[in-house]
Amino acid sequence: MRLLHWLPGRLLSAIIVLLGASILIFAAVRSLPGDFAQIVLGPLSNEEQREQLRQSFGFDRSLPEQYLLWLGNAARGDFGLSLASQQPVLDELASRLPVTALLAGMAMLVTIAIGIPLGVYAGTHASTGRGSAAARIVSTIGISFPEFVLGCLVVFLFSRFDLGLSVGAFTSPTTDFGRGVVSLLLPALVLSVFCVAATARTTRDAVIGVLVEPHIAASVARGEPKGFIIRHHVLRNALIPVLTLTATITAYLLGGAVIVERVFNVPGIGSYLVLALDRRDYTVIQAGVLLATAVFVIASLLIDVLTGLVDPRVSVAKKGRGA
Amino acid sequence: MRHAFPLIGGLAAATLLLTGCTGEPAGNGDDAAAEVAPGFLAVADESIASSGTFRAYLDYDTVEPNGLDPRTADTARSWTIMGLAYETLVNIDENFEFTPGLAESWDEVSPTEYVFHLRDDAVFSNGRPMTAEDVKGSIELLLETGSAWSLQLGPIESVEVTGDLEVTVKLSAPYTALLGALANTPAAILPVQEVRDGTVDLKTEMVGTGPFVPTAHVQDESWSFEQNPHYHGLDELGIDAVELEIVPDEANRLAAIRDGSAQYVFFNNADALDLLAGTPEAKVVNQQNTDFYYVILNSTNPDSPLADERVRFAVNAAIDRAQLSDLTLAGHGLATGVSPVSLPGACDPEELPSQQLSDEEITKLLADAGAENITLSLQTWNSESAPGKIAQVIQQQLEPFGVTVDIEIVDDATYGATFYGSDETAGADIGVSWYAGYGDAAMVSRWWNTDQAGFTARFMQGSPELNQLVVDASEEPAGEGRDATLTKLCAAVDEGAEQVPLMTRPGVIAYRDDLISPTINSNEGYGDIFRYVTDFRLKSEG
Repeated sequence: MRLLHWLPGRLLSAIIVLLGASILIFAAVRSLPGDFAQIVLGPLSNEEQREQLRQSFGFDRSLPEQYLLWLGNAARGDFGLSLASQQPVLDELASRLPVTALLAGMAMLVTIAIGIPLGVYAGTHASTGRGSAAARIVSTIGISFPEFVLGCLVVFLFSRFDLGLSVGAFTSPTTDFGRGVVSLLLPALVLSVFCVAATARTTRDAVIGVLVEPHIAASVARGEPKGFIIRHHVLRNALIPVLTLTATITAYLLGGAVIVERVFNVPGIGSYLVLALDRRDYTVIQAGVLLATAVFVIASLLIDVLTGLVDPRVSVAKKGRGA
Repeated sequence: MRHAFPLIGGLAAATLLLTGCTGEPAGNGDDAAAEVAPGFLAVADESIASSGTFRAYLDYDTVEPNGLDPRTADTARSWTIMGLAYETLVNIDENFEFTPGLAESWDEVSPTEYVFHLRDDAVFSNGRPMTAEDVKGSIELLLETGSAWSLQLGPIESVEVTGDLEVTVKLSAPYTALLGALANTPAAILPVQEVRDGTVDLKTEMVGTGPFVPTAHVQDESWSFEQNPHYHGLDELGIDAVELEIVPDEANRLAAIRDGSAQYVFFNNADALDLLAGTPEAKVVNQQNTDFYYVILNSTNPDSPLADERVRFAVNAAIDRAQLSDLTLAGHGLATGVSPVSLPGACDPEELPSQQLSDEEITKLLADAGAENITLSLQTWNSESAPGKIAQVIQQQLEPFGVTVDIEIVDDATYGATFYGSDETAGADIGVSWYAGYGDAAMVSRWWNTDQAGFTARFMQGSPELNQLVVDASEEPAGEGRDATLTKLCAAVDEGAEQVPLMTRPGVIAYRDDLISPTINSNEGYGDIFRYVTDFRLKSEG
């Protein structure tokens, strides 16, 4: 019942966020120098040809009129045609979505599989040993290393030397899932480095915070085994900030995919958006950014729900009022 | 200090590892321009019994306002890809001589009349035989578009069917570049009957008489072609299918040739010659192009020092083409005038007026113009690596003459907005870009004729004399008279220095010697890296 009170408010704020994002991206794209007609028709074109092309896509109308028209169509699920391929944008994005989703999913898996154990280890060994220091160093380096630098380095090394995995030879997961996963392994690892580091650091801090709680001291006093305490008391309580971070990581993965897909020649939504930006393919950029915003908003929403489920002390209703 | 040597050694080892330097000579780079036969960097071994799929990686895809319609195709990659499905009336060979295409012969009745005799076995991929009406209609359809290539066709007065397999083209004035214009993909012969009745949509379909038919295309990702069962040379094809991957990132293309997932890869970066030196199965060749890099020296801004012709000429003279080529294109770019240096009859770039000036004369010229310490803005684009490098070298070369250059490297769209598509003067003093050089020495010079090339208005004023020289060069028949006109034209362009040709823009083609035996011409006019694809032989089934 609490969820029913809270959800409408969150949905309304989500719609407002999406609307705001759509206005921002529409204005940002239109304020970029150069336009689609110039790019596609090339320098040899004349003004008459460019104007004809603009008219054919409705770019001769006023900006507010263009925006409202686009918004109205988008609300009905019609994001228009890609100016470059002249195919429906939704179809173009849908055909690339599985690739980006798999890439982000693999990166998320690596993040959870490595980041959380690393953070727990660093947190439970915070005051002793080299292991904790090593974990801190690893997480600091991971956070500091931009993925485009790491990506270029990995592409160079794996293309220069025979290291067992090839770069650039992408296989679609929809045609061969196994080979698709293998071809996404390197990009997913590069994409996950920052996330692993951030997750490890957040987990470590959360674990350290939980370890000084009285109920942990009580568990120790009861003589419960260390592993049991960590699994049942520490981890569960430490997970809340990690879950919150997951929403941020989701956004990061979408943003990072733009770079990583480009560097590794992965034909997902990220590389498609970069191309669209180069070509001033307005409809694609608008739809792509709106999609990314929607994913982030939905992820945040789900994380809020999950947080309440993991720790009932966090009042869903209270969060809803605060929203 | 005891650790200094191990540390330095470690750093050196790491550097060698990262740069991939194995101590081997860059053999691939050194002999990359060596010909195996006159005019060819590679010649397919026709004795190989070949079948299978030809896999190539390209740098970018065709993106045109009219989709797959060849008539308005504007980029070399579009010409290359569409050229797999379409054929033209005439072809161009390794010496830039014209050879039979869909016309098995032609007569130049007079400088204004050409009669083309068509082959009788050409059939479109939809199964309908090509007719003389298709040829007439294709030229007319191209002229109707008003596209850049329709301008290159010159002053066509009429196209008539004068026999079952004969078409006569009449011109209103002599135009030597006609065959050069007819030899490129935008002048492809189309199934006109179907185009006119709407059963073939050129924007979405490719129905040509060429060797292959597209079966799938994912924009910016890939193309699939299969054999055209009606192709007149079907028995001689050594390829069953073509798979093209669009891979913008160069490192990924390098990886593909190294691991053999691609048999044939194109690069725009001379560094590829050395980067593939450690892959013995990869053959890397440097294909010379008629395309050339040029700088815009914007003359239309009255507040810029470049409004003064003396300053532009001095800046032009201060650019050392040989050094520019060495530092940016591994020495493979050839200095050129406005008639591309690799074409027959082209002017000698060493004879250009700017090349006769000493450093002292350049300095004096700038001083006379009151431009002793000036700052110029330069803008170029980033979708290829060379323009940015060229900008940096030019910056260094001009600095000793008191010319400071502020460089801005932007995306293509921003560059376009700076120099084209408006009435205002261009937004920068200098621009760096390149032009396609085509297959005739006068074709590209059209872009220096302000009567014909309106797109230059934001940075070029030109002159009636220059415009007339461009027209003269296109009208005069090949021979000494035309060569002399081209030399005058080159000098006029060089002195006016509003668009200054620098050096040719070679391409690098890498192929797997263990997988494919290709034919690659040493000089290319239309960026068609698949020009001899029908000769290619596969060493494995791909």
